Amino acid sequence: MIRVEHLFKSFDGQKVLNDISFSVPEGEILVILGASGTGKSVLLKCMMGLMKPDKGQIWIDDKEITRLPEGDLLKVRKHIGYLFQEGALYDFMTVYENIAFPLQEHTALDQRAIEAKVKNALELVDLQGVEGKHPSELSGGMKKRVGLARSIILGSKILFCDEPTSGLDPIRSRDISSLIKNVSKRLLCTTVITSHDIRNSFYVADRCALIRDGKIIAMGTRSQMEASSNAFVKEFIH
Amino acid sequence: MIAMDFFRLIIQSLAGLGNALCFLGDILRNVLRGKVRYGEVLRQVYEQGAQSVVIIALTSFATGAVLAIQGAETLSRFGAKQYIAQLVAWSLVREMSPVFTAIIFSAKAGARITAELGTMNVNDQMLATRALGVDPIEYLIVPRMLACFLVMPILTIVSEIVGIAGGYLVGIFEANIPGPYYINQTLRAVRYVDFFSGFAKVFFFAVLVGWICCYQGFVTQGGSLGVGKYTTKAVAYSIIIVILSNTVLTKLIITFWG
Ligand SMILES: Nc1ncnc2c1ncn2[C@@H]1O[C@H](COP(=O)(O)OP(=O)(O)OP(=O)(O)O)[C@@H](O)[C@H]1O
Ligand SMILES: [Mg+2]
Repeated sequence: MIRVEHLFKSFDGQKVLNDISFSVPEGEILVILGASGTGKSVLLKCMMGLMKPDKGQIWIDDKEITRLPEGDLLKVRKHIGYLFQEGALYDFMTVYENIAFPLQEHTALDQRAIEAKVKNALELVDLQGVEGKHPSELSGGMKKRVGLARSIILGSKILFCDEPTSGLDPIRSRDISSLIKNVSKRLLCTTVITSHDIRNSFYVADRCALIRDGKIIAMGTRSQMEASSNAFVKEFIH
Repeated sequence: MIAMDFFRLIIQSLAGLGNALCFLGDILRNVLRGKVRYGEVLRQVYEQGAQSVVIIALTSFATGAVLAIQGAETLSRFGAKQYIAQLVAWSLVREMSPVFTAIIFSAKAGARITAELGTMNVNDQMLATRALGVDPIEYLIVPRMLACFLVMPILTIVSEIVGIAGGYLVGIFEANIPGPYYINQTLRAVRYVDFFSGFAKVFFFAVLVGWICCYQGFVTQGGSLGVGKYTTKAVAYSIIIVILSNTVLTKLIITFWG
């Protein structure tokens, strides 16, 4: 269960999030839609505790995280998978080491088990034979898939994905979307995804929320969104 | 107007210094709690050491040679040519090697530390570390900082030995001093106090350079432009602070220790 209450965030007077509230019940996939630069990434970073909001509360399960000190936040984050928009892989590690990193940090698995898990994760994101490469040798879309593999490797019950499909070809986008949906449904993950890719969003989402000018202007299932009378919602989703 | 700007500048500098001190405090807390990743430290020691050792050896050799050439020139006017060995050894061990090592280390390894951490910052890798539930100070900063602390003293000793070798070659070939005599003079000249008065400084420099370079990398922002800006800033600050603090340290050491 994730609950965001009256969240405000601005940068140098520029209001990015302006009273955002919503909640995601356990096991649900919520897709946050919005045009480029509306603050989707900022919202997700706040929910991960990577950025401090100016005002408002964020509940992850039964913890309010906006006031937690960094040490406690680190513990909370161990149980959340997070995919960065640009992948954010370590340059100095190979693909294999990148994906194995969370396992080495937070589990007591031996080398063989880690190897098997990494191999499996790479298969899931449809990347084989790149274990030994460094991120600088990969394309943007490949980095993103490695990032996704890293964020699901621990099997966390909460998953945040920042634009998992942007920069991928249509077929891969579809594959990645169904992968996220499968993983999320199999592990009963509470999942929040940001996107501006309407087709795939409707495919993975249980519910969608549309952000504009720092506010959620529409929220609901696909049919509820499609039935909306708001002009901007209509324009955005068609 | 100007007064306001000046006032703001002072406030900003103080805030910056405060943040940097908190940062150092975080590092110390990690070290004291034993949160040290020795594998990482070793890797950093290797990288920083391997990167700087050749250039430090080269410059030290040249410095030792130059000291001997100048020494031969000036000392022979007083008929004191046999003191070249002492001059070279004292200069190197008490002042030149610690300071030169710190400066060259800042420009090579220090710049690398800042650029590396800064790039990780602007590419979200620092955020990713936190997102993965790992403390970036523990994982990325502490090993680099400790490596500075270990590598710089070693590099200083390398610098002293190579520098003395440079002086030795000039001494025996240019000034025609017998080799065994030169070595004997050197060994007799450098007392414990001389060695440690220089060597103690290196640990100060190591902390200062490591702190400055890690901190600048840790707070880098503004894309690739920012990486360039903060890296030059880190090197400039390191060099200035090494040279200035050396003056104070030298005065203190000579006053209290001889
Ligand atoms: N660290 C920051 N400092 C200053 N402004 C920022 C910062 N991060 C984000 N912003 C501003 O916040 C706004 C929202 O940025 P954000 O990255 O969340 O957009 P987004 O919705 O994720 O866009 P996209 O779809 O392109 O990823 C932007 O206008 C940006 O200028
Ligand atoms: Mg974004």
